[in-house]
Amino acid sequence: MSHRLLCVDPDEDARAETVASLREELADLNPTFVSCGTLAEAESALSSETVAVITEYELPDGTGLDLVREAEEVCPDAGCVLYTATDPDTIPTDDLQGSLTEYVGKGSLFGDDRLVKLVRTTIERGGQTSYPVPQTEDERIDALRSYDLDSDSLRGALNRLTDLAAMHFDVEIASVNIIDEHSQEFLACHGPATEWESTDREASICTFTILEDDGVMTVEDVGEDPRFESRRTDLVEMGIRSYMGASLLTPSGLRIGSLCVYDGEPRTFSSADEEFLRTLAATAMEFIELHGRADGTEVAG
Amino acid sequence: MSDSNPAESAYRFPEGIPIDPVPQGTVLLVAGPSLSPAEDVARTLVADGSVREEGVLFVSTGETAKKLLAACRRTVPSMDTDRVGVVDCTGQDIGQSDSEIQVKYVSTQSDLTGIGMKYSALYESLYADAEAGRVRTGLISLSSLLMYNDLRQVFRFTQTIASRIDSAEGVGVFSMDPTTHDEQTVNMFHQVVDGLVEVREADGDADGELRVRGLRDQPDDWQSFDLP
Repeated sequence: MSHRLLCVDPDEDARAETVASLREELADLNPTFVSCGTLAEAESALSSETVAVITEYELPDGTGLDLVREAEEVCPDAGCVLYTATDPDTIPTDDLQGSLTEYVGKGSLFGDDRLVKLVRTTIERGGQTSYPVPQTEDERIDALRSYDLDSDSLRGALNRLTDLAAMHFDVEIASVNIIDEHSQEFLACHGPATEWESTDREASICTFTILEDDGVMTVEDVGEDPRFESRRTDLVEMGIRSYMGASLLTPSGLRIGSLCVYDGEPRTFSSADEEFLRTLAATAMEFIELHGRADGTEVAG
Repeated sequence: MSDSNPAESAYRFPEGIPIDPVPQGTVLLVAGPSLSPAEDVARTLVADGSVREEGVLFVSTGETAKKLLAACRRTVPSMDTDRVGVVDCTGQDIGQSDSEIQVKYVSTQSDLTGIGMKYSALYESLYADAEAGRVRTGLISLSSLLMYNDLRQVFRFTQTIASRIDSAEGVGVFSMDPTTHDEQTVNMFHQVVDGLVEVREADGDADGELRVRGLRDQPDDWQSFDLP
């Protein structure tokens, strides 16, 4: 897995030195670097694949915190580090609610060493996500990517399962989702969900489902659940007021996604409901397994 | 540091608190209702580092730096203030001149960016002065931060702090009153930390009872404790 790092410093020599140091010390993590000297160049260089942003505070056309704010939009899971000569007490932060950045003083005794260790930890811990990730995240992603999920026949089979789920639970929306490293992708949908596109993982309900020990998560009212407080309006507009999801479990117990149903009104789900959805999710996973093996692919996980 | 003997480099806690030494990089969540001595336990686990020539760094949301220091001295009377820092988020900036410890002020608990940056700056300073770069962090309390910020923002903030502690081979103690939050909120923070220390009041003479969950080689049944 390649890790994309963005280094921003108007001082060309300092920038080159930082990149060289990180490249050497983090070689085992196979990072790729983009470096630039202005805010405008840096904003253009941000992508959803960026895992860490290392920036000076003073930039010719803005500040490092402007870049942190933009990174929040483009790559919300990325870790941000102000690697700067500017005194942190002089940096105004009052209006930056929600954006977080680490600070490392360039002039400090251990500055270079601290930066390397921080960036390493940021990469290894998966950035600064606003949601929890499973302890087996790396293995989970490897397992997910070992499957071929693009065929029409697989999607057709999964679509029939979402139809069945929607009918059984008397809901308008059902879907089969996979949780990738930074995004949620929809493999199969019933109802308005057919219009849904890939979302950032932080906007996903299912990213919490794959953490559940018993494989099923219910949310009786998203309006009352603090985990989705910042997404409440969007979810209601999508027709989601209540939710139940069951994990797609690989043979070795890794959760690569979920099969879920959504209701437009608050509601409860019984243990029998949970069991039925768990069975449908297991069937969905069997389809994925069979498909992966149908063309001779070695399936991991 | 990373090549040192794990047993020798582990962080130790005062006698009377039945928590065995924990490895470098460990973050604990000390959870107990407001009437329990949970915050006293959290403060003591961190402040005890000062008598071991380690750095001690608090993020204090409800108490001024001065009151926090006084509270620490109730359980760690010999506290050495040479390597103590506080990010004071109470909004009562009294300046540095009359303080015996390093204090950085943040005007409001909703300024998580400011808290994080000043925490990092103080960490840098303490890391340089502490024995072998050993620094203990106390975040007191998560419950207070959650009153001023969205859950996801606080979660991300604690991830950032935990990442700093991990990368610097420190130790962290976050405190929380789980009775003021719903189950989903509490469970989210279990994902950030390495171990949970549950604290409750005791019926007898002891100051309270605690049990440790999620960490290997720790007793996981309720045990009474006495604060120093």
